[in-house]
Amino acid sequence: MKRIIILFAALLLTFSAFAQNGKSIYQKYSDAENVSAVYVSPAMFRMIGRIPDLEVGEENVNFSSIIRSLTGLYILNSENASINSALRADAERFINAGKYELLMEAKNDGEVVRMFTMGNDKTIEGFVMLSAEPDEVTFICLDGQMSRKAFDELLATQMNK
Amino acid sequence: MKTLEEIENLSLEELEQKAAETAAPVPDGLERRLREALAARELAEAARPRPARWIPYASLAVAAAAAALVALPQRGPKDTFDDPLLAYAEVEKAFQTISDKMSVGMDIVREAEQTADMPYNTLNKIQK
Repeated sequence: MKRIIILFAALLLTFSAFAQNGKSIYQKYSDAENVSAVYVSPAMFRMIGRIPDLEVGEENVNFSSIIRSLTGLYILNSENASINSALRADAERFINAGKYELLMEAKNDGEVVRMFTMGNDKTIEGFVMLSAEPDEVTFICLDGQMSRKAFDELLATQMNK
Repeated sequence: MKTLEEIENLSLEELEQKAAETAAPVPDGLERRLREALAARELAEAARPRPARWIPYASLAVAAAAAALVALPQRGPKDTFDDPLLAYAEVEKAFQTISDKMSVGMDIVREAEQTADMPYNTLNKIQK
């Protein structure tokens, strides 16, 4: 009986580790109190991609190439102190389990921001941003096949706004 | 007491008759010791783990869980927006958030660069 319990515990741990991804983290925390959650599905991204030349501010930026390449967007913003550390730990476990590389880390006034990308020199297959403040944690996860060049240009455009 | 030769000359029936007449003495407590030994053996049998009992069930459970994981459709979360324009606005907001956070990092880098340039600039001024 003891062996069976140990076996099932090991199984559960294996499956939980296996299932850890942006979607599972989103599903785990999206219904919690003081958590705002946004999910955009691949189907919705396809619909957005059909919108012709989207306007960003005063410039016309063709977002569609990036939008079409996205297959999922998961955003969690938690101001729930009782789950913040768990959310952060789950996100870090997911990042460490994948092939994510640290893109940037910034620590400022108690806020720690880390950005990770997964892919190669030309393509980004996944992007994760984890921002942790003393009372707030933000998790953004993008899945897709984005051109790294287009992604960088888009971020640069947004930064100059 | 019979000699060996006399014993050898006895018939089979006579030998059986003699054996029945002289019953071998049973050592004291033999029955009790036998019972105890049998009971101890039964207890040891019962206590010994029988992997053959639980391994098939555990294997079935593992196979069923693996099959469920692979075969069952992965139910995803529900889209937050029905309207693509609203969804797009949220995507843009997400990129803006990422850019803002990145800007914080870039500002720190710029500040560090200025600090690193200070000794160089001071030396330049002194030389002039």
